[in-house]
Amino acid sequence: MRRIVLARLGLLAGLLALWELWASRRDPLLYVPPSRVLPALGRVLRLEAYPTLLEHFGLTVLEVLAAYLLAVGLGLALGFALGLSRPVGEIYEPLLAGLYAIPSVVWYPSLMLFFGLGPASKVAFGMLLGFFPVVLAVLAGIRSVDQQLLVVARGLGAGAGTCFVKVMLPSMTATLLAGLRAGLALTVVGVLVGEILGARRGLGYLINYAYGFLRTAEYAALALLALGLVLAVDGVAAWVEGRARRWTEGAA
Amino acid sequence: MRPVTAAAHIEVRAVAKEWLTRDHPVPALAAISLDVAPHEFLTVLGPSGCGKSTLLSIIGGLTSPDTGEVRIGGHPVARPDPRQVAMVFQDPGLFPWRTALENVEFGLELQGVAAGPRRERARALLEPVGLRGFEGRYPRELSGGMKQRVAIARALALDAPILLMDEPFGALDEQTRLLMGEWLLGIWARTRKTVVFVTHSLQEAILLSQRIVVMTARPGRIKASFEVTLPTPRDLDAPPAATLRHALWDAIRDESRRALDGGA
Amino acid sequence: MTPARRQLAQAASLAALVAVWELAVRAGWADPLFVPAPSAVARALGVVAPEALGLLGETLGKTLAAYALAVSLGVGAGLLVGGIRYLHDVLSPFLVALYALPKILVLPWILLTFGLGMTPAVVYGVLQGFFPICLLVAGGVRDIDQGPLRVARSMGATSWQLYRKVVLPAVLPAVLAGMRLGIVFCLLGVLVVEMFGGIRGMGFLLVSLANAFRAPELFAATALVSLLSIAVVLGLERLNRRLGHWR
Repeated sequence: MRRIVLARLGLLAGLLALWELWASRRDPLLYVPPSRVLPALGRVLRLEAYPTLLEHFGLTVLEVLAAYLLAVGLGLALGFALGLSRPVGEIYEPLLAGLYAIPSVVWYPSLMLFFGLGPASKVAFGMLLGFFPVVLAVLAGIRSVDQQLLVVARGLGAGAGTCFVKVMLPSMTATLLAGLRAGLALTVVGVLVGEILGARRGLGYLINYAYGFLRTAEYAALALLALGLVLAVDGVAAWVEGRARRWTEGAA
Repeated sequence: MRPVTAAAHIEVRAVAKEWLTRDHPVPALAAISLDVAPHEFLTVLGPSGCGKSTLLSIIGGLTSPDTGEVRIGGHPVARPDPRQVAMVFQDPGLFPWRTALENVEFGLELQGVAAGPRRERARALLEPVGLRGFEGRYPRELSGGMKQRVAIARALALDAPILLMDEPFGALDEQTRLLMGEWLLGIWARTRKTVVFVTHSLQEAILLSQRIVVMTARPGRIKASFEVTLPTPRDLDAPPAATLRHALWDAIRDESRRALDGGA
Repeated sequence: MTPARRQLAQAASLAALVAVWELAVRAGWADPLFVPAPSAVARALGVVAPEALGLLGETLGKTLAAYALAVSLGVGAGLLVGGIRYLHDVLSPFLVALYALPKILVLPWILLTFGLGMTPAVVYGVLQGFFPICLLVAGGVRDIDQGPLRVARSMGATSWQLYRKVVLPAVLPAVLAGMRLGIVFCLLGVLVVEMFGGIRGMGFLLVSLANAFRAPELFAATALVSLLSIAVVLGLERLNRRLGHWR
């Protein structure tokens, strides 16, 4: 195991070194080696490069939050509607699968037309991307419930509501949480894509701005910041997932 | 006292094998030696984890021993030789994307036999295993017993003089297992192959073999050898069989307990 | 429920949706500037189709180029990473991380480096399509049933025979699953590049129509791309079922 971790670190270090060597002897406008990205990152984080950074970053975070809440709400509602009723599910699931075959970005221009360039279109797009994993997870979760458990519960006199709350939901928790976590990741991507494709404010907008002005080092720094946001958000989601899993499994 | 016969078909000489797991090495076989005569039906009986599968793997050339060697017909075994040895495992291992017929053809395909002749041979082999009419079925359409019969037909297609079988009926229910055992004996009587049959079922051992070899718990060694001279078809309730059963159980009970406690 | 009844219900639901939508616009509940009536969209389809189909062809061309590359690289890498234990242990966290990473972050740089035209679209398409394919194939290789493999080895199969006759057929379902996912990702990548970089193609058309507030034409064009994508995926799905009839 130790050897493998060392190999990974070695690979990472090697790639960084390669990047540094290769980029530093080329057009500085296009290629920024790590040695220039890091100071740029410093400038960005100290708010020297973009004094309004916090505003933009904050807006992006708010958009993600709003989009995610909507995605989860819609996803859970649709997921349970399709999953709990066999006929409804049989009719509409293939249609949902059809939607899944369409690259999500084709909806964005329509959203831009409807909502404009402001945060609303980003929230809508983020919601659109994020709700799929949630719906799929609900459907998968319902399917994964051990029918035996339901039989036992009904045999013990549990009604439909009790069965749902005390048998189905706990059985589904792991799958649901994984779906919620995937949905969050996609929501973040959706918001960022929306901002980069066309916005007036937000982290994605800043990235676009830096790129437009060929401030490549700062663009790279902002991209790293966005990456950091993605990782942090997923880290929180992973922690919640782990906590909840221990709680449900511990209780069992 | 065993009569001295012609040169043994399979000779296992002081074979030892250790498996390296993540934490520590696990000894599977400890300097085990064994002779199998030509045309003999030998059963290797032992508790779980005693290394019987490892032994079979080594004889079949799938693994090499750490020390010692195995010879077949006098020649050392270095790799699987389908002209000498055919193997059947507990998991039938049928190729799901091939029909029953195509599965049976597999070994012949590997050897470069032309399509026409090999198809004919495969078809002919499905007949004695009772699967005529099932040539075009896919494994997912076959029951456990049928799958294992296809696997055995596939092994028989190699026409190798030795057949190694690692608990082939272990995954089947009791009735099927008994029927398959009878059927296997019929095949053996007809083809006169040398069979090494691994099982942990005393019943199966008594029903099928000419000789039973009992292994110790891990690391495996030969503990005892029993000639089975009962007339066929074998009646398990008759006194001679019952005596043999007691003897076997005596030999194996402690080993089984040791295997159970040792967390095999 | 029989397939016929199901399809009837689906068609009826869609028809009802379209009817309600048409009514909503006619009754004035929805502003036709933002939400065009289905009848307007249908008319616009005729108007925009010639240009849209041509551009769709261009986008499709870039997508197929990206797809060919993504599949060859992805399947190859997937077979290696799945098959060689060491590679899998070392590389899989990187691959999973890169898959999860929003690739749009490197898009501006790709445009800077490769300029405008076909190249950035194909490069980005490959970037999008490679990871899902690679991960699915690697997973498929890791999940190969050991039973048949052992039997083949016991029959003296050479490495090449093992590969061709056991590994590849066993891995095929995973490869097809990866390919089905990959085409959507490649198309997505190409569209994003066209939208972001103003490069000629369906993506650019959609953005232009949106900027010009030509809602009916935009909806019509969106419908065209969507139908194409669904058709391609359904086609691959049928291929998958055909090749995997033994499952």
